[in-house]
Amino acid sequence: MLLIIVIVLVVACAALGVALAQQRRQNLVLRAGQAETEAELKHLQASQSQVIHTTKLASLGQMVAGVAHEINTPLGFVKSNVEVVGDLLDDYRKLVKQYDAAVQVCLQPVDLIFNADKASLDKLVKHVEEARRKLFEARTAVEKSPLLKDAKELLGDASEGLAQLSSLVVNLKGFSRVDRDGMDTMDLNEGIESALMIAQHQLRDRVKVVKHLQPLPKVRCMPSQMNQVFLNLITNAAQAIDGDGTLTVDSRVDGGQVQVDISDTGCGIADDVLPKIFDPFFTTKPVGEGTGLGLSIVHKIVKGHGGTIKVRTTPRKGTTFTVSLPVNVSGPAAAESA
Amino acid sequence: MPMTDAPATALRILMIDDESRILRALKALLREHTTFATTNPLEAAALAKQHDVDVVICDQRMPEKAGVDVLRDIKETHPRALRILLTGYSDLKAVLGSVNEGEVYRFVNKPWNNTELRDLVTGAGKIAREAPVIARDTLPQAEHDRARTQVGVLVIEDDTAVQQRLREILQPYYKVNFANNAERALQIMEQNETGVVISETEAGRSDLTGLLKALKLHHPHIATVVVTERANAQTAIELINEGQVYRMLIKPVRMGTCRLSVDSAIGRYWQLKQNPQAARRYTAAKPAPEGGSSALRLPAALLNRIRSLPGRLLGNARA
Repeated sequence: MLLIIVIVLVVACAALGVALAQQRRQNLVLRAGQAETEAELKHLQASQSQVIHTTKLASLGQMVAGVAHEINTPLGFVKSNVEVVGDLLDDYRKLVKQYDAAVQVCLQPVDLIFNADKASLDKLVKHVEEARRKLFEARTAVEKSPLLKDAKELLGDASEGLAQLSSLVVNLKGFSRVDRDGMDTMDLNEGIESALMIAQHQLRDRVKVVKHLQPLPKVRCMPSQMNQVFLNLITNAAQAIDGDGTLTVDSRVDGGQVQVDISDTGCGIADDVLPKIFDPFFTTKPVGEGTGLGLSIVHKIVKGHGGTIKVRTTPRKGTTFTVSLPVNVSGPAAAESA
Repeated sequence: MPMTDAPATALRILMIDDESRILRALKALLREHTTFATTNPLEAAALAKQHDVDVVICDQRMPEKAGVDVLRDIKETHPRALRILLTGYSDLKAVLGSVNEGEVYRFVNKPWNNTELRDLVTGAGKIAREAPVIARDTLPQAEHDRARTQVGVLVIEDDTAVQQRLREILQPYYKVNFANNAERALQIMEQNETGVVISETEAGRSDLTGLLKALKLHHPHIATVVVTERANAQTAIELINEGQVYRMLIKPVRMGTCRLSVDSAIGRYWQLKQNPQAARRYTAAKPAPEGGSSALRLPAALLNRIRSLPGRLLGNARA
């Protein structure tokens, strides 16, 4: 009996020992795991700002393509017009020269011959009449010439083209904010406008853009990050629309919040996909087309600014993303990571 | 519009762009010709026919209708006019469409060079007036059967898997030869009547676009079908302008598209052979001396062989 108890105790002890050793081992593994997780977390935090930077570069590439297109059209006619005006002026100079030649003919001294016979008198009259006719013709040619009017019109177009080009540059500068960094106060409507301009080449042919932008108070934020948010949401909306559709952008102030809606008439988001859309690396796009980071970055930036982002979607009808930022926001966390 | 007092040499040109300032600029640039302009691509085809225009210059990106589609319609309803696509941004899809559907004569980027564009339009207009038109590339069945037993199809491709695939698709229907480099391709062309060349843009790491351009420059009646996996807009534009490529397909090769392309390429060659003057419509531009001029980088020996390919074997009437 005693023997049995001893055996049971020994077995129990052994079992306990084994369990303890296992626990210890597990503890070690856990601790190692914890250290690993911590290191990973640090790594992730470090790479997060890297990711924001990378997607910034991606939107830069997109920007360059879009802007190249927007620039080349005005550049095309400005360049052509300036050269053509040069040619027109040359043509006009020819007309003036002809006029001048006619004037010279008229100015030629005419010898008055007394007692001249009728034949030479007639010849003289004919000469004077001919000279006057040529002068009249040359003058009419100068006066009626469309050259100056055409040149002026072309220069007018050229100057409008230059205005288009400079507003593009202003927009670009506004978008990239290369001239300043960090926190600033910003009218979100401007961010929306420049993001729309940059996404233009993706929209132009097929997507109609409707804007309802109400006057907004300036918001303290990282403008380049907010621009990235808008560009990302607009690009996503454009991609959600297969064929023709409408992109609607609304902005308003609502109880201490600035709100921006970006809606598309696209394919919508399926129920099983919806909970995952803000997850990093989640994408429904084919391999190599999407990083799966766009919306997660958008989410992070908006949260970093103390704001919220909401989605409403109906499959096959469309999606609306609503970004809300508090009007008075102090020191967003996102500021440090970028 | 100086309609009545325009001299007989003045061309009739239709211009389509959603930016009216572009139209005004082109009008001023081409003021010695009679120009018709519209910002509405939907009325373009009707205008082209109504005014019997010689040249069409069309923007690619317009809200109502893409330039490629406008040019495709004009090709159908008024095939006599030569078509130029003028664009500020060239995405690959548009470029491919302009080859395969619009069959454009030239692809010009904005901002354009005034002298070059003026010369281009003048040259195109002259061709449009003088060279006969091949309205349809598809031949009647009996004639097509005769054509495909006579006309050689040459495939230049170094990937054996693709070669095998093309062999399966083409061998049953056409007289096909295969080459895996430019040298071998020329040997075949020197020995067989070749009407259609199907080619990659590269073989064995060496560029083939130079060969294709030179071939077209000297033998414009040969129809080239480029089948590539290295598609980029710039190369494609060069292949249009300097190579007048007939079709451009992206790998993987699909049986249906491939057969359709080769069938109509044979039809095109066959008709040009009987009607050599029409080949002027497919003249390639001489490569620009600077940049992308791969034709000039072609070894002189190869270039000479291309130039002296016997007209007899090519079915070339100018002998």
